[in-house]
Amino acid sequence: MELILEQLPIVIHALNIGFLQTLKLFFVTLIGAFPLGLIIAFGSMSRFKPLSYLTKVIVWIVRGTPLMIQLLIIYYFPGLVLGNPIWGGGETGRFLAASVSFILNYACYFSEIYRGGIQGVPVGQTEAGLVLGMTKTQIFFKVTLLQMIKRIVPPMSNEIITLVKDTSLARIIALQEIIWAGQAFMKGSQGISGAIWPLFFTAVYYLICNGILTLLLGRLEKKLNYFR
Amino acid sequence: MKKMFATTAALMMALSLVGCGNTASSEETTATTEEAVTEEAVAEETTTEEASTEEAASAESDLAYVQEKGTLVVGITDFAPMDYKDENGEWVGFDADMAKAFAESLGVTVEFVEIDWDNKIMELDGKTIDCVWNGMTLTDEVKSAMECSNAYCNNAQVVIVPADVADNYQDTESLAELTFAVEAGSAGEEQATALSLNFTPVKAQSDALMEVAAGTSDAAIIDSLMAAAMVGEGTGYADLTYTIGLNSEEYGVGFRKGSDLAAKLNEFFAASYADGTMMECAETYGVQAAVVEQ
Repeated sequence: MELILEQLPIVIHALNIGFLQTLKLFFVTLIGAFPLGLIIAFGSMSRFKPLSYLTKVIVWIVRGTPLMIQLLIIYYFPGLVLGNPIWGGGETGRFLAASVSFILNYACYFSEIYRGGIQGVPVGQTEAGLVLGMTKTQIFFKVTLLQMIKRIVPPMSNEIITLVKDTSLARIIALQEIIWAGQAFMKGSQGISGAIWPLFFTAVYYLICNGILTLLLGRLEKKLNYFR
Repeated sequence: MKKMFATTAALMMALSLVGCGNTASSEETTATTEEAVTEEAVAEETTTEEASTEEAASAESDLAYVQEKGTLVVGITDFAPMDYKDENGEWVGFDADMAKAFAESLGVTVEFVEIDWDNKIMELDGKTIDCVWNGMTLTDEVKSAMECSNAYCNNAQVVIVPADVADNYQDTESLAELTFAVEAGSAGEEQATALSLNFTPVKAQSDALMEVAAGTSDAAIIDSLMAAAMVGEGTGYADLTYTIGLNSEEYGVGFRKGSDLAAKLNEFFAASYADGTMMECAETYGVQAAVVEQ
């Protein structure tokens, strides 16, 4: 116990640095995947068949393969197959490659949620808009989109919370997020070696982060409750 | 509106495809120019300035490639006393200091990158790192996949058991009744296989230690240098100890297959062993007893 107290400041400092990397990846993924998901959703709902099929195949590939493999492919293939290591070996390159993989992966999941949300809005709503003389653009933004957002909050919350934990997969390409930081103390880092507890302690970070997210998303859901 | 978005999406996809096409074709062009350059050289025509730059850029020589970009990217894991961070966050250790000196002799700067040990060959071949310099045991697998330097350090694989039962396991016969944890792809796993022990592969040597500490495995096999630093009195694993050494082995530095940097490093090792700087560096980190004569 005494030993742990002695190690605590060093460990917390290292874990904070790791968690910052985790949060960075989390936010970059959200910022990239929200709009990209919408574009993919429109692609898969398009009446232009080749586009719709192409998007569906992409979504199938991305959702059908493990994110871990996608990370490995996106980071290593440019150097291994094309002979041109576009990402470089440094930390920035690893972060960029991880961001691209996560954005693509999550955009595909989001696109299906968006699609469900848009198609779940009753046809009557669109028809009512038409009767009122609204244009298609107006109907989409003022009627469909708004109701879609309300509908997709619960499934999106699910994905967002999963994303916080999924960021730990990025350690496969040696992105030094919090789990990596925790594990470093097992083999020895900054004068502490053979300490197991920091790895398990990382769970506290995830718990707190997801607790805050759950509260915020719950509040958002309540706010959007004014139409049923 | 939907159509507009669909068109945008289609455009973006088309553009990205075009982008791919461009890269591919530009690569082809470079390849052909390179060929042309070699042909010119063979024909002993006067080399223009353009041709000579092209030649330097060609990936024929790994040494030229590293000098061209000006950095030697060294793949490491946090592994005291070979590569670890000091209080200032600077990479130090026997391997790290030697790597710095080697890079200096090449006239390039050194960059240390922490990698996942399982992916070291992929990192090398994908050119995200230029060498693996991290107390790497020269196993047959390593030698077949990488261009290795001469051995520079001796090492052994040792058995880790809880201290209170250590007396019962002082010879190889007694090990048969134990369950082992070993790092996947490590020299420890090789030993466990050779002795046909009952073992579980885990992700890292440190994970193997945790297995023993948690009681999920009876024993582990890890590097003696690491064991000396990590188990016993005054470490996080005070209840563990190491017993017998299973083999003796050597550490080396790994480069891309066919790289001319390995020969260059051998020269460097020989020179620094001769002038005593290598031993001096080893003494700083307490590994002088393990250093191999160059």
